[in-house]
Amino acid sequence: MDKRIKLEIKLPLVKDIELVALEGLELMGRHLQISDEKIGEARVLVTEGVINAIEHSENKSPFVDVHFIMNIDALTIIITDYGKGFDPSAIETPEIGKKLNSNYKRGWGLKLMKEMSDDFKIDSSEEGTKIIITKNLR
Amino acid sequence: MKMDFNLTARVEGDVLVLKTEGYINNDGGEKIVEEFDKHYINGIEKVLIDIEESKVVNSIGISYLIEIIEKLNERSGTLYFCNMDAAIEKTFTIMGLFQFAKKVESVENIK
Repeated sequence: MDKRIKLEIKLPLVKDIELVALEGLELMGRHLQISDEKIGEARVLVTEGVINAIEHSENKSPFVDVHFIMNIDALTIIITDYGKGFDPSAIETPEIGKKLNSNYKRGWGLKLMKEMSDDFKIDSSEEGTKIIITKNLR
Repeated sequence: MKMDFNLTARVEGDVLVLKTEGYINNDGGEKIVEEFDKHYINGIEKVLIDIEESKVVNSIGISYLIEIIEKLNERSGTLYFCNMDAAIEKTFTIMGLFQFAKKVESVENIK
C-alpha cells in the first residue's frame, strides 16, 4: 500500500506564516518516520518557497497555496502564488563574492531551492507563479 | 521547536560569542547585527555565532550575517559558527558563506 499523505494549506499573507507550513511538514515527517536530516532540508525548501511566494504576491491575492505530498521515499512541495509573475531566466544567480560590499545581499531563495532539492520546476505567468519541488527522503 | 527569537551575547577573551535561539528571519538577523555593531565599534575582530538553538534560518536572516562578514573583512576579522544543524550548514555551504567564515567546535577552538 502506498502510504502517501497530503496536506493542503491556504496561507494568508502574514509575517512568519511559513512557520505554519513547517509545523505541517514536521508532523508529516514524524508520522512517516523521515530522518531529521531530510526534514531539515525540506524545511529550508518550504521556508524559502513560501517567502518567495509571499513576496511575489504583492498583495494581488490575499493568500498563497501550499501543498505537500509525502511518502517514505519522497516529498513533493507545490507552492502557488497569484501575483504578477516573473521571468526566472532574468534572475541572476547570486554569488557571495558579489554580495559582499553590495547594498543588496538578498536574492538567494531560488538558488537554495534548486540546490537543496532533487527536482525543481517553476512555472510563472501574469496570473501567478507555481513552483514544484521534489525532495528525495531516503 | 522554539521559534521566538532570542539572542544572548558575551565576550570570552577577544571573541564575541552570540548565541541565538529561535527563528533567524529578517528581525532575528537585524538583532544579531545590532548586537554585533555594539562590539564592532569597540574593535572586536572575532565573532562566534552559536546557532544550536536555531533550527530554522531563512535567507533574508542570513543576508544580515553576510553584512557581519563584510564588516569583519574590513579589519581582517573572522566570523565563526558552531553547533549548526546539518540543514543549516548545507544552506551556508550552498550560499558560499564558508569561503569567508569558519566552522569551529566551540569558542576554545578560536585562536
